[in-house]
Amino acid sequence: MDQSEIDALLAGGGKGAKKSKPEPDPAASPAQEPKQDGSGHVIAELDTVTAVTERESNKVMDQLDMISQLVARQQKLITEMMRHEGAQAAGVQQAIHEVMSAGKEIQDKVFEAMDLMQFQDITRQKLERIVHHLRQIHDYIVDLLGTGLKNEAERASISRTIAQTGTMPDENKAHADAVVEAYKSQKKG
Amino acid sequence: MKILIVDDSSTMRRIIINTLSRIGYTDVVEGENGKSGLEKLGQGGVEMIITDWNMPEMDGLEFVKTVRGQNPAIPILMVTTNAAKEDIVEALQAGVNNYVVKPFTPETLKEKIESLLG
Repeated sequence: MDQSEIDALLAGGGKGAKKSKPEPDPAASPAQEPKQDGSGHVIAELDTVTAVTERESNKVMDQLDMISQLVARQQKLITEMMRHEGAQAAGVQQAIHEVMSAGKEIQDKVFEAMDLMQFQDITRQKLERIVHHLRQIHDYIVDLLGTGLKNEAERASISRTIAQTGTMPDENKAHADAVVEAYKSQKKG
Repeated sequence: MKILIVDDSSTMRRIIINTLSRIGYTDVVEGENGKSGLEKLGQGGVEMIITDWNMPEMDGLEFVKTVRGQNPAIPILMVTTNAAKEDIVEALQAGVNNYVVKPFTPETLKEKIESLLG
C-alpha cells in the first residue's frame, strides 16, 4: 500500500472503504478544510458528527426543559385548585393528590432523561480519541514508508503509546474516590 | 454562591447547571475552555469551580494550574471522562480538590460539592 492509498483509506475513499457515504450537513458545523494529504477528511467528518450530535442533544434538552416547565405549571395550577371550595371533598382531594404525585414522577423522569444526555459528551470524547489513534497510525505508517522499518525499540514504544491512549473500557476505570482518598492520606502522612 | 462551570460541551454545561439548580445552586457562570474560564474567574465573585479536563485552547489541567497560581484556596472539582489512576493523581497534584468521572449521578455531584464546601 503506497502513501496515496493510505491517505485515501483515511479519507474514506480507498480500497475497502465505503463507496458512498452520507453527505455531511454543511450547516451543522463550521467548514473545515481537509489537509492536503487527505487525512483531514476523517477528522473533519468526525467533527461534523460531534457538532451535529451536540446540536441535536441540545434540541432534546430544550424539549425536556419545556416538559419540565409545563409540569411545574401544572403542579402550580393543581395546588391552586386544591384550595378551591368545590375541591374539598375527600374523594376530590385524593384524586388531586394522585395527579400531583404523577406529576412529580414525570418531573423526576425528565431529570433522569436530562442526566442521561451525558452520553453525547462521552461519545464525543471517545471519537476524539479514535481520531488521535488514526493520526498515530497514519504517522507511523507514513514514517515506515518514508524511512524504512523502525527498530524494535521504536516499534514497541509506538505500540505501547497506542495501547495506553485508547478509549478505556468502563470495567478498567479506576475508582476515582479510592484514588482521591489514597492520595489525600498519602499527602497527610 | 457563584459557581463557575468550565466545559466545552454545551450539553454537559446544561446538565451540570440543571443538577446544580436542583440542589439549590442557581448562580452560575460558564466558560467553554480554560481560557474563557480564566476570563470569567477574573470578573470576580466565583466561589467554586467545576471543570472538565479535555477542552480545546486551554485544557482543564492547565486551567487548574493557572488558577492555583493565583488562588490557592478556591475549591475546584474536576468532572471528566479521564478515569485512569495516573490521570486522577495528576489532577490532584495540579490542585484539584476532588474528582468525578463522567457519567455522574446528581447524587454524586451533590455529595462532592457539599464535601468541598463543608
